[in-house]
Amino acid sequence: MAKGEYLGEFEHIVLLTVLRLGEGAYGATIRAEIEHVTGRSPAIGAVHATLERLERKRLVSSWIGEPTAERGGKAKRHFKVEADGISALKHARNTLERLHSGVSLRDATA
Amino acid sequence: MKPPALAQALVAVIAPASDYEIVAGDLHEEYLRIASLRGTKAANRRYWAQTLRSIPSLLSYSRSNASAPRRVGVALIALAVLLAMLAIDTAVQTVFEGVGQGPHWLWFGLHWMIAVVFGAILALLVRTDGLRVAFWTALFLVLCFVIPAVAGHPGSQAPLVAWILLWGVIPAMCSGAAIYQIARRT
Repeated sequence: MAKGEYLGEFEHIVLLTVLRLGEGAYGATIRAEIEHVTGRSPAIGAVHATLERLERKRLVSSWIGEPTAERGGKAKRHFKVEADGISALKHARNTLERLHSGVSLRDATA
Repeated sequence: MKPPALAQALVAVIAPASDYEIVAGDLHEEYLRIASLRGTKAANRRYWAQTLRSIPSLLSYSRSNASAPRRVGVALIALAVLLAMLAIDTAVQTVFEGVGQGPHWLWFGLHWMIAVVFGAILALLVRTDGLRVAFWTALFLVLCFVIPAVAGHPGSQAPLVAWILLWGVIPAMCSGAAIYQIARRT
């Protein structure tokens, strides 16, 4: 993996959230799911900026849905994790597991 | 139930053209959800908080993948608008100098009003992301004067008042473009 292709922390969270949500992944649900699971309340703008970056890296793809009344007649942009996104997630998890192996957090002092 | 109009206008100003509808829709959906659970006041607070916290992120990206000819076209339009604005500005100044020198605030108001109008015209002509184009155009104009002054060019030294007037063109042009963008999107 090239240096610029590593996932940042928030990119990692957003990518995993898109994967968790499956077909229901769009801005509002992604933001709400991150808040529900992590306790962090990201700004919707930050979520969209991150999704745009992930799409530029070809880790996710998007398409525009139909406008709906509960959105004030405005459309949604749906997101889906691509094969490169899955590879990036696997790579990130393997890296963390390798770093964690042999380290005991119980004995560690701050 | 409707989200606060001023916050909606702010979203219309700051969101990238390609994502405005998407972001506004997400905020609207969350607004209705919170309003039904916790009431309108809480929903209004949340809408404002989300909008204000989103400003840096929404200004930081653009989904635009405009072709090179389109970019050149936008740059030429911006240049033409800038030249037209300077011509009008000079003409107005010439006319008013005949009448007599008024207070500074009157001159500032007049020059900046012209910049507001041309900011709106620029946004109208380029259609997408007018605010960003207006910002870069105004900054280009300012740098055309600042760079020679910093480099010590003898013909570019001006009093402080002239610099205040010049830097004010940036917010003035952006305001014009923002007004157009709000009118068009909301």
